[in-house]
Amino acid sequence: MSKLLEVLLLDDEPIVGRRLKPALDKIGCHVEIFENPREAVARIDQKDFDIVVTDIRMEEMDGIQVLEYVQKKCLRTKVIIITGYAKVELAREAMGKGVFDFIAKPFRPDDLRQIIANAAQALGVPIDLSSIKA
Amino acid sequence: MPIIIISSDVRDIEEKIAKEVALMMDYQLLDRRVLPDIEMRHQIDPGKLSESMETTPSVFKKMTSRQWRYYLACIEANVFEALLKDKIVCWGLSAHLFTTNVSHAMKVRILSINNWNSGKNSEQKGGTSQGADKLIAEKVQQRKKWSMTAYNHDETDPSGYDLVINLDQIDPVEAVKTITNAVEYLKFQPMTYSIKCLSDLALAAKVNVRLLKHMVDIKVQARDGSVVVLTKASNRQKRKKIAAIKDLAGSIEGVRYVEVHVKKNILGETAGNSF
Repeated sequence: MSKLLEVLLLDDEPIVGRRLKPALDKIGCHVEIFENPREAVARIDQKDFDIVVTDIRMEEMDGIQVLEYVQKKCLRTKVIIITGYAKVELAREAMGKGVFDFIAKPFRPDDLRQIIANAAQALGVPIDLSSIKA
Repeated sequence: MPIIIISSDVRDIEEKIAKEVALMMDYQLLDRRVLPDIEMRHQIDPGKLSESMETTPSVFKKMTSRQWRYYLACIEANVFEALLKDKIVCWGLSAHLFTTNVSHAMKVRILSINNWNSGKNSEQKGGTSQGADKLIAEKVQQRKKWSMTAYNHDETDPSGYDLVINLDQIDPVEAVKTITNAVEYLKFQPMTYSIKCLSDLALAAKVNVRLLKHMVDIKVQARDGSVVVLTKASNRQKRKKIAAIKDLAGSIEGVRYVEVHVKKNILGETAGNSF
């Protein structure tokens, strides 16, 4: 792939970013990690990301607010929500607000890679997962 | 695509609306016509599954509580299996009661009191409106009792549905349009979380059927191929029951790990019950 997929990953648990970044690097993503939502939205102000992956429950700003912020800034950006507190109501709220996908923690890196690949496809920049699945 | 589940207090209406919606959306229908196949697959006497969907077990009836639970589990497992396929309109199988955690399953309730009053039901009670009212009240109570006993959900409670349509006020044609429009809402679209919920529920249901065939007091949860079974056993039977559960559940396709949690069964201890 000629162009790297620009991904912002926001989760207030540092371990999540540390684990997922290498998993996404492998499929041709350039990942920027944030633990603080304020710092993440400040970065979103500066740069148009292809994909934003965000946790829901965070202090100061929750994932739904981040989603709304991203939508105001750049409609093209696909937002993926990851959460350890998945419930039907929350999932529907996020979907209703236009999230690209919603996944419950814990999940395997492959699960997120598949969602990223789907988002990349929707953005018109398909990525090939087959090379890293072996 | 979302799953559409239709239920009503009047079976004919439920069928009519479901068929129209399926036709308009080009979806497959899933209804009680699958019951004979399920009976054959699980070697259950013909008609028993239909009966289990209408009655609750009691000491005076031929169907024991154990049989009844097993029959419902068989229906549930097969319905889940069918729901994993895309483009389904389901009615008559009480799927709205066991898919509450599936966000892309849109549950629709159709109300139609006038259909009760004007139909054969009023004739059965001599054509009086009081007779019909009484029959409606009895039927509602019966369904409420059944749904509470089977799934601990009150089928007659509108808050358990995503969309409630009163056919006494809305024409059936408009009702079908409303349902097909509502199913386009973003909220009802499938997502990784809801698809996983459905496949986890389907796996748990499959394990539940296998275990209920051999034992009682079983609750199964599944996630990503890991299965947790909650059960009861006497101290004497505990090890044997855990081994049997691991053996039975572990042989099911899709199960990677089985964990068994056993509560002490005091009654089993004194009566010397087996499983």
